[in-house]
Amino acid sequence: MDLAKCISDATQEIFQSMLMAEARPSTPLSTRSNVFKDSVSGLVGLAGNYRGMLAIHVPNAVAMSITSKFLFMDVEEINDDVKDAIGELANMLAGSVKSMLTETGTGLKLAIPSAISGTEYEVECLSDSDGAIVPFNIDEGEFLVECYLQNS
Amino acid sequence: MGNKVLIVDDSNTMRKIVARSLRQAGFEFEKLLEAADGQAALEVLAGETVDIVLSDINMPVMDGIEFLRQKNADGQIKGIPVVMITTEAGTDVLNEALSLGAVGTIKKPFTPEQVQEVLGKFL
Repeated sequence: MDLAKCISDATQEIFQSMLMAEARPSTPLSTRSNVFKDSVSGLVGLAGNYRGMLAIHVPNAVAMSITSKFLFMDVEEINDDVKDAIGELANMLAGSVKSMLTETGTGLKLAIPSAISGTEYEVECLSDSDGAIVPFNIDEGEFLVECYLQNS
Repeated sequence: MGNKVLIVDDSNTMRKIVARSLRQAGFEFEKLLEAADGQAALEVLAGETVDIVLSDINMPVMDGIEFLRQKNADGQIKGIPVVMITTEAGTDVLNEALSLGAVGTIKKPFTPEQVQEVLGKFL
C-alpha cells in the first residue's frame, strides 16, 4: 500500500472536484513536526482493522481562501466556517483514503471530523505506526496532508 | 412550482456546497431546508412535506443509517426518497443504506454534473 500515493490522488481529486483548483503534490516529507503555528488542522480518526488518523494542516491565509472558495463569500478571520470547511476537507480525504485501503470498507470506520486552530498547537500521532506526510501547493500557498495507520 | 428539498449534514459548509451544486445543476426550489443530523431531520419532516432528502451518513447525534431506520418506521414519511451524499461510497455502510431504502448515492467529492445525473430521476 502506497499511502503517500493514496493521499496525493485523493487530495488532487477533491480540490479539482470541489474547488476547481489544482493541488500540486511535492515529495513526501520524511519527518514530521508536532507543532503548527497560525494554522487550522482538520482531523479524522480511523478505527477497525487499522487504527490511526488522517489530518490536513493549513496555514490561516490558505484556510481562509479555501473556505471562501467553498462558500462563495469573503472570509477575513478564522471562524467556525473556516474550521468546519477544513474539517470537511479532512472528512472527504479520510473517506477517499478509506475507499483506497479497503474494497468494501468492511472493518474500517471513520470518526466524526474535528478541527483545531491557534497561534501555536501540537498534533501528536501514534509513534509506532506507518505514515506519510505529503506537502501540496495551491495558488494561495502550501498545506500538508498526513495519514498514520497501524494494524489493530 | 419548484421542489422542496431537505439537506442533512453536520457540516454547514457541506450543506451550502450541496445547495449550490443543486442550483448549478439547474434545479429550482420552492423551499430548501437544512438539518445538522438525523434527529433534526426527523423533526423537520414532522412539520414539512418534502420531495426528497439528501443525507450524509457519518453524523453525530443520529447518523444517516439510523435516520433511514426511523424514517422507515414512520408511515407518514416512509415514502420520502432519500439520496445519500457521503464519503462512504463503495463501502459496506453505503450498502446498508441502500438496503434500508436509500434510492441513490452521491460520493463526496462530487461535481454538479454528478448531482444532476442522480437527482434528475427524482426532481
